Amino acid sequence: MSYLATDVGGTFTDLVHYDTDSGRISVAKTLTTPDDPSRGVLNAITIGQEQGVISPDRIDRLVHGGTTVINAITERKGVKTALVTTAGFRDVLEIGRGNRPDLYNLHATSPAPFVPRRLRLEVRERMDTRGNVLAALELSDLDAVVAACLREGVAAVAIAFLNSYANPLHEEACANALRARLPGVAVTASHEISRQWREYERTSTTVLNAYVMPVVDRYFDRLETALASRGFRRPFFAMQSNGGMASFEWARLHPLSLIESGPAGGVSGAAAIGEWLDEPDVLYLDIGGTTAKCGVVHAGMPRLTTEYRLERTRTRPGYPVQMPVVDIVEIGAGGGSIAWFDDGGALRVGPGSAGASPGPACYGFGGVEPTVTDAKLITGVLDAATFADGSLRLDQNAAVRAMESIATRLGTTVGAAANAVIRIAEANMLNALKLVTIQRGHDPRDLTLVASGGGGPMHAARLARELGVRRVVIPPYPGVFSAWGMLVSAPRRDLKRTRLQAAGAEAITMGRAMFADMRHEAAEYFGAGPEDLRHVHAVEMRYRGQEHTVSVTCHPDEWNEHALLAAFHEAHEQSYTFRLESAAAEVVSFHLRAELITPRPTLVAPDAAPEANTPSARTRSVDHGAAGRQASALYQRKSLAPGFRALGPALIEEPSSTTVVLPGQSVTMDSRGLLVIEEQE
Amino acid sequence: MKASDVARGSAVDAVTHEILQGKLLAIVDEMGIVLARCSMSPVVYEVLDFACGICKLDGDLIAQTNGITLFTGTFANQVRAMHERFGPGMAPGDVFMTNDPYQGGTHGCDFAVVRPMYDGVVPVGYAITVAHWLDVGGAVPGSLPADATTMFQEGLRLPGVRVMREDRLLPDIVAIIRENVRLPELALGDLNAQLAAARIAERRIQEICAKYGRATLTTVFDDILASSERQARAAVLALPDGRYSASDFIDGDGRSDDLIPVNLVVTIAGDTMTFDYTGSAPARAAPINCSRGALHSAVKTIFKAMVAPQAPSNDGWFRPVRVIVPDGTVFSAVKPSPTGWYYEGSAQASELAWKALAPIAPERFSAGSYTSLCATYFCGELPDGGGQFVHIEPQHGGWGATAHRDGANALIAVTDGDTFNYPAELLEAKFPLRIVRHALNVEDGSGAGRWRGGFGVVREYEVLAEASYLYASYGRSRTRPWGLDGGRDGSLNYIEVIRPDGTTTRLARTAHHALHPGDRVRLVTGGGGGWGSPEQRPPAQIREDIADGYVDVAAAEREYGLAAATPGHKTGPQERKPAINARISLIPSPPGGRREQAR
Repeated sequence: MSYLATDVGGTFTDLVHYDTDSGRISVAKTLTTPDDPSRGVLNAITIGQEQGVISPDRIDRLVHGGTTVINAITERKGVKTALVTTAGFRDVLEIGRGNRPDLYNLHATSPAPFVPRRLRLEVRERMDTRGNVLAALELSDLDAVVAACLREGVAAVAIAFLNSYANPLHEEACANALRARLPGVAVTASHEISRQWREYERTSTTVLNAYVMPVVDRYFDRLETALASRGFRRPFFAMQSNGGMASFEWARLHPLSLIESGPAGGVSGAAAIGEWLDEPDVLYLDIGGTTAKCGVVHAGMPRLTTEYRLERTRTRPGYPVQMPVVDIVEIGAGGGSIAWFDDGGALRVGPGSAGASPGPACYGFGGVEPTVTDAKLITGVLDAATFADGSLRLDQNAAVRAMESIATRLGTTVGAAANAVIRIAEANMLNALKLVTIQRGHDPRDLTLVASGGGGPMHAARLARELGVRRVVIPPYPGVFSAWGMLVSAPRRDLKRTRLQAAGAEAITMGRAMFADMRHEAAEYFGAGPEDLRHVHAVEMRYRGQEHTVSVTCHPDEWNEHALLAAFHEAHEQSYTFRLESAAAEVVSFHLRAELITPRPTLVAPDAAPEANTPSARTRSVDHGAAGRQASALYQRKSLAPGFRALGPALIEEPSSTTVVLPGQSVTMDSRGLLVIEEQE
Repeated sequence: MKASDVARGSAVDAVTHEILQGKLLAIVDEMGIVLARCSMSPVVYEVLDFACGICKLDGDLIAQTNGITLFTGTFANQVRAMHERFGPGMAPGDVFMTNDPYQGGTHGCDFAVVRPMYDGVVPVGYAITVAHWLDVGGAVPGSLPADATTMFQEGLRLPGVRVMREDRLLPDIVAIIRENVRLPELALGDLNAQLAAARIAERRIQEICAKYGRATLTTVFDDILASSERQARAAVLALPDGRYSASDFIDGDGRSDDLIPVNLVVTIAGDTMTFDYTGSAPARAAPINCSRGALHSAVKTIFKAMVAPQAPSNDGWFRPVRVIVPDGTVFSAVKPSPTGWYYEGSAQASELAWKALAPIAPERFSAGSYTSLCATYFCGELPDGGGQFVHIEPQHGGWGATAHRDGANALIAVTDGDTFNYPAELLEAKFPLRIVRHALNVEDGSGAGRWRGGFGVVREYEVLAEASYLYASYGRSRTRPWGLDGGRDGSLNYIEVIRPDGTTTRLARTAHHALHPGDRVRLVTGGGGGWGSPEQRPPAQIREDIADGYVDVAAAEREYGLAAATPGHKTGPQERKPAINARISLIPSPPGGRREQAR
């Protein structure tokens, strides 16, 4: 069998091919073609075909991921969209939640709505909180809606009615009518996207989905046609934000589910590595040119959030997306992050980045500001001649010149300044890593850290030591890890229903019924029997009076009131240090995660070269910060094989990254070709 | 020590400084997450009416959560009050609490929990959390009687007591709380959440001491304060020296609808600023007053907005600031003046400073806003013997235009910050209330101008409960938000209760208004003031507003003098008629209630 995954990023399109017979992984990288990203994908495939690696008729699964959806939204390149709401609520989208996170900025505003007021239209209808009809849908009100959509040349319509999470009847009727009366217009009703409460969040999600639907539809159409004409077999799959994949057919109707497909690929890859190593809890870190992203895999599953907000910053509330998205914390710290002094004279690194253009000073493309990559060159982690397999010769002098501004202001040497820049960048990364672990109730000492991206392998050893994680794993081809993660992900659906209940016998009965209903929906979606699916059942619970919930995993057949409550108290204490045994508890929502059991690639070891694993004769002098400057053994990853073991300080170079092993640590290559770094003793 | 560190006057290198400051901010963030997630009160978890901080041993604030502005700079005085009372008697594992408004606090509902943090047995600082408890006893559920005449109607007062010893709750205090508040489960749940947040802070501080050393940490405390002070002084120095004044009215105090005159003179001299509120009206025998602690917070909010809105807050920023006011004014109430609605007084104190400084710092300030938090309480019995309910929500409203764009719609008032409105779907699932409309308040409009004010909000409820009542405190119900530089004034905040027979009652601050099934309660907030003359607003922008229904044709003609301002109609400057300076208002604006000449 063979598998193919492609990850369309902002700058590069990555392609990973895996052949199960030979165990061989092949990768290709081409420039992304923003005007029509399918060209970039086909270019990458062409390279693979020309090299004789890819034969379309032998590909058993093709997975596609990337930034198409998020770019269409952040660049405001979606379509003209209308919104239909319950009468009295058309402004909910614009009012939002009214918070001012930038609280001392008296010029703050809420984010501008994606639908202008003139295209926000109301119809009479009303459900109550339990889903009972209070006022029937006035279908005649749709005449004005249809007229406005035609007049304004609307290409998509979102429908969001109050309390439709409890009963979607009116939304269904409205969607059917509009689809019939507005042919060619993309229609999304909120219940098709989310069955959770909070009207602003659900409306925002629905609007964003409608806004990108025609864009993604056209793109997938072109891509599918082109792939089919090359001889690839349908169905094709799209990587979703929840860490699973879905058919193109489904993704075209739910394009917003692809919003974080790149990072989701990475987390999914980290979960697969955890599975092979028998480690259910994994910490994932990806460091690219501009940002570092981290997330957690818990009990074998990527940790998800339902409070994702697009374009959120410390000062901007952003746009809510009420869909399960891998819980990723992203900070502005990467290889291109610029070092600078703030008004108070403190040294800072990022979030400003030199990006790919002009890039770090040492790239020699005209960048003059000191970056983390320049610091890595000065400390000796990177080598001017071997960087990127020698394809880009770095300019040591330019890096030193850039770093001098920092050194002068700190009153120190260029070497010490470079170390300071790295320390601060790593302190920022550490705070992000703590946010996804300690602040979410996970003890880093129980976790394995999987590090990817160009920068992950360079920083991982030191971050791991600071956090006290068990070990570090550097996967093969860390520079294309997201695409690799897509390759090993499984088709998955997350279903969620909000229904507030006291945590008693009634809630158990209702939960069983809801889970059965969701399992049925999942089976229908996959077109598969229950034996082909793996289910995880989770209940979101809280003490009465609380708003936020903790998630309790359970199996409905084994439930009883006592077990559910015991599990809840336990989970609450783990997350928040205390339990309230005497307080009443509530069930807020039910969450089913269904995964199709399907063959997935597993890694096998690379073929060992004859001279593999011989002790390194070469060394490079590297400044390891607190451990000082030391001669560090130098290895090439491609000439290593399972059984390899070395002690730090050491460097392992490969085209897309360099793995750093600190003094006091050891590194081994395991039977799958993973590099594993551990503290000695 | 390196040359640059000597220049900064510090024994800690700049890199360690930056790393530890990042860690301190991460600690207060973590405290906030723990508190918000564990809390039982919607006021805390939806409205985020809480704050967490870390203070030095002398009380100076080092790091604080970014929640709401009301607690900007209240922590130091509260910590000092605890220190004076217990000082040498404090020991590891102790926790203290206070809700005394006259000792640096705000009002009786805000409980501060103060935990001295130790590295071994050596004290290194304090963790403090403040949260608004839904009820602390007193005359009415929610503990904010709008007609209170003394603090004794505002519930339980704990003026600094030990609540934990050796990390164990003291049962006597728990019993006092349990027996004196209406919703003890919620109160004790919130107390637990606050204790957990403070405990986390101490644990993290101990980790820093273990890794970097206590001396390094305390040096960084001083460096953080010194660095902020330097930046604040530089910012003040850049402003023109002089005296800047403003006056305004507080609309009603809860017991009467009187206009209460208040005023301020700001003096900028070199790198210092003095805010003198002398001459503001005496404290009222009504809960609109704020105490000195809340006044300082109000001033610091505006000062911070002016010198460094995005930088993390600490007490170093405020060293150039002096606040002058005699005891016993509405802004410096003393015992036993009630302070239940203190944030209404403190909002007006903030707005006075804002109004005085807006002309010299237009890049930081806007025209006047709806100002009042418009706190609204629905109380009553749940159906089927489900017990009592108390639903509290602040209202979001219209903000003033700036010199460069229209005002913001439907944002929370200056006293708050990262404060969310309440989703209809959550509310309907919990309380016997139904929301029939949640919309921008375009009917009452906003201040016209080259840039117009932002719009307020209309939230209309249908009452379902058999027996329930409403109480509320809406300011700016008579004095409109001020326009600037020729911009018009905005519109008013008010409540309308509409009986099924159509009888309508208009309210602003009300202590108790009985509600019956079928009543409609319409909560309305005003639009902000405009900036610049309406005649300078380009016709194209006015037509866009008409197309979106923000402004109707009649209003466009009245406010902007734009003839036949219909979409598609060709217009040029010659089509403008002289603007008719007319406003429609249900309560006439009082003389002098608008922008003052005094500035």
